[in-house]
Amino acid sequence: MRAVYGIVAREFVRFLRQRGRVLASIGRPFVWLVFAGAGFATVFAGRSEIDYRAYMAPGLLGMVVMFGSLLAALSTVTDREAGVLRMMLVAPIRRSTVAFGKALGATLLGTAQAVVVAGLLLPLVHLRPTLGGALLGLVAVVFAGLAMGTLGLVLAASIRSIENFAGVMNFVVFPMLFLSGALYPVRHLGPVLRAAVYANPLAYGVDLLKHALLDAWAGAGYGGELPVSLDCAALALFAGIGLAVAAPLLGREGGVTRTAFRERR
Amino acid sequence: MTAAAIDARGLGKDFGAIRALDGLDLEIQDGEFFGLLGPNGAGKTTTVHLLATLLAPSRGTARVAGHDVVRQGLAVRRSIGLVFQETTLDRDLTVAENLRFAARLWSLPDGVARPRIDALVRQFELLDRRDDPVRTLSGGMRRAADIARGILHEPRILFLDEPTAGLDPRARRLLWERIRGLRAASGLTVLLTTHYVEEAEPCDRVAVLDHGRLAALGTPAELKRAAGVGSLEEVYLAHTGRRLAETDGA
Ligand SMILES: Nc1ncnc2c1ncn2[C@@H]1O[C@H](COP(=O)(O)OP(=O)(O)OP(=O)(O)O)[C@@H](O)[C@H]1O
Ligand SMILES: [Mg+2]
Repeated sequence: MRAVYGIVAREFVRFLRQRGRVLASIGRPFVWLVFAGAGFATVFAGRSEIDYRAYMAPGLLGMVVMFGSLLAALSTVTDREAGVLRMMLVAPIRRSTVAFGKALGATLLGTAQAVVVAGLLLPLVHLRPTLGGALLGLVAVVFAGLAMGTLGLVLAASIRSIENFAGVMNFVVFPMLFLSGALYPVRHLGPVLRAAVYANPLAYGVDLLKHALLDAWAGAGYGGELPVSLDCAALALFAGIGLAVAAPLLGREGGVTRTAFRERR
Repeated sequence: MTAAAIDARGLGKDFGAIRALDGLDLEIQDGEFFGLLGPNGAGKTTTVHLLATLLAPSRGTARVAGHDVVRQGLAVRRSIGLVFQETTLDRDLTVAENLRFAARLWSLPDGVARPRIDALVRQFELLDRRDDPVRTLSGGMRRAADIARGILHEPRILFLDEPTAGLDPRARRLLWERIRGLRAASGLTVLLTTHYVEEAEPCDRVAVLDHGRLAALGTPAELKRAAGVGSLEEVYLAHTGRRLAETDGA
């Protein structure tokens, strides 16, 4: 559908035009690789079978998707404040089409960033995935992007303004990152945190990426921990729920003024 | 039998305790040029948003182009164009990119959209700014681009919510010429809200809205005769004067 194409294309044009955002998204994983990698590598030292920086790669790619897709979807808040959302809501398309367009744009934007970063990162940490691994990795990135994009849409529809953004970072982004298995295996965590891991869409994405990239270490307990099919199903479920929740929320802002939220109380 | 372009019955909207629109009955004929006047907060924008399916009515019903605004929102939106009181452009995109984005939202094929965008950009004298980000345009130029966006898909019914606020006299003239051209060519129905009362002079009919209620409705000539005054401005003041008197007293 043309409208979806238009919404997706706009996301890409905006992204490429914001040079700071491009640099941040490409540079962020390497900053983590250098600084977090240096610290955690000493903790992991002695386990000769794994190289910590390579171990980080799936988590870093998951992080790229998370930031890429989540931030793109959260831009709906800016769209609302700048009035652009009104243009979309008065167009002859369904609310769910607007939500789908934003979610797809976020997914593809996160995927594109992850593919670019993978091209730079994997050679750097001497990971050479098989063709099957690369394809599985791509599937993981797309599914994780969709789950993150729809989550971002739901957040965007529920937060009042971009000022609440810091709250999203503290209470959503960082917990999701640390409870994703991106930096350490989650199997040693206590039951409460483990339960949180299962509620975390990013964890399934990272687990799938570990299947894709660290298959060789699966025997040592550093590869994927859940079945591939479970990862895929969980991500699809998160994406489906996200879309179903976000579409009416976007539509509910029919007034498209921030105050439209007051009606709900 | 031609159905009315717009048919509102007892249309009302509350925002919490605020009664923004209180039982509006309004029928606007196909091809009519209709002016909605009223002071700040009278409910003009609320009316337009209800008719454009962006707000859900608290009471009453409305049909636009024969479609119910609650149950057939998509069909309503297919027949209308809306120039919002506040800008809807993406400030980071260029004028041309904004118009292209709108064309895609309205599912116009590229072959149709391209010549229309070229023509609109030329008509609104934005030709040498078409590839500049909207952020760098003056307020009036942005307004002109907004209006171009609103009529790009050549709607049957056009809502203009204070379209000329911030436009210089020349741009204003260009807008009205463009609207006159569209009306002559396609029998466009126009619902205009404005504070510039003289702009409503060429309207077929005018309504004055005050505190969410219709205070007056008729052709400009009828309204002037009924109020015993010589200009629409005096009609407007006669029907919304209560508030002016209050302000004077303060
Ligand atoms: N989203 C909203 N939430 C709460 N109150 C609102 C909302 N939108 C409008 N109102 C209130 O409804 C009333 C009518 O507002 P509206 O915007 O329709 O007026 P208007 O005639 O367009 O005024 P103006 O000439 O200033 O544009 C006002 O009292 C306004 O404060
Ligand atoms: Mg208004």
